[in-house]
Amino acid sequence: MSSASEQATAIRASRGDVEAFRLLVEEHSGLVYRVALRILGVEDAQDASQEVWIRVWRNIKNFRGDSAFSTWLYRITVNTCLSVRRKEARRGEREFSGEKLPFLPEPRGGDADPEASALSAEKREEIQDALGHVRAEHRAALVLRHMEGLSYAEIARVLEVPDGTAKGWVSRGRAAMLIALAEENRREAGGSAE
Amino acid sequence: MMPVGEQQWEMLERIGAYAAGELGEEETREVEQLLFERPEYRRVAESYARMLVMLTTFGSEPVEVPEAVVGYAIRRAHVSAFMRSAEAFAGALGRSYIEAFVYYLGLRRESYGGGT
Repeated sequence: MSSASEQATAIRASRGDVEAFRLLVEEHSGLVYRVALRILGVEDAQDASQEVWIRVWRNIKNFRGDSAFSTWLYRITVNTCLSVRRKEARRGEREFSGEKLPFLPEPRGGDADPEASALSAEKREEIQDALGHVRAEHRAALVLRHMEGLSYAEIARVLEVPDGTAKGWVSRGRAAMLIALAEENRREAGGSAE
Repeated sequence: MMPVGEQQWEMLERIGAYAAGELGEEETREVEQLLFERPEYRRVAESYARMLVMLTTFGSEPVEVPEAVVGYAIRRAHVSAFMRSAEAFAGALGRSYIEAFVYYLGLRRESYGGGT
């Protein structure tokens, strides 16, 4: 769907056209589920995605087409995921004393390893788990930047914060993610050495 | 003076921005000089680069949306649209009955059809 026809479909849906809404759901359910999955993990992604679409239908009458429909949808998705996270007990962020810098081990076979282009199930689990140790807002910013490929201006619009804050959240999320991944690798290496 | 943890954290974020290619020319040169002088920072930069590749790969992997998500959203919209129309219909019907009743009781002089 081109962005012009997407806007037109969203405007039709905003007037109560269920068929137009169905087209939007079919076109964008991947985006919503993918972002929910990265921010919340597999246990909560389905419920959160359903909640997102309920909110979209309830609020689409307010959609005027001033911003791209996808930006508006990203905003509802991220807000829904963050509100799910706020209800839960916060998972511990990895401590950083500054004494030990976080390192990731080199992949077997060096950087030219063909395995690097595809992730193993184990690696995926490791990434998802490490994401869980990054503060929710920073995680959302990190996901939007490095997984969804959004610009800082777009991230700022989605998160409704100034550009500088969006940049700071991505930067902190990136550092926290590296610390969490390095910690996972260290624990795994320690476990396999035992 | 900044505590060691904070200093290192700042450095960590700076190296992260470098690895993501987000620094300006001058800052890039400064960080590259640091990486040249400090092998441990070089390792951090390499780790960041590896992590960013992993994140991009992870983000670009297709995900399978559970059928229930799409089906549920569309069903809910249909039900809600039906309820809205039913509500509007019932409202209009109720108003017509009241108007007819008012006319029947002779409380209003105009005819039911809206004429005089």
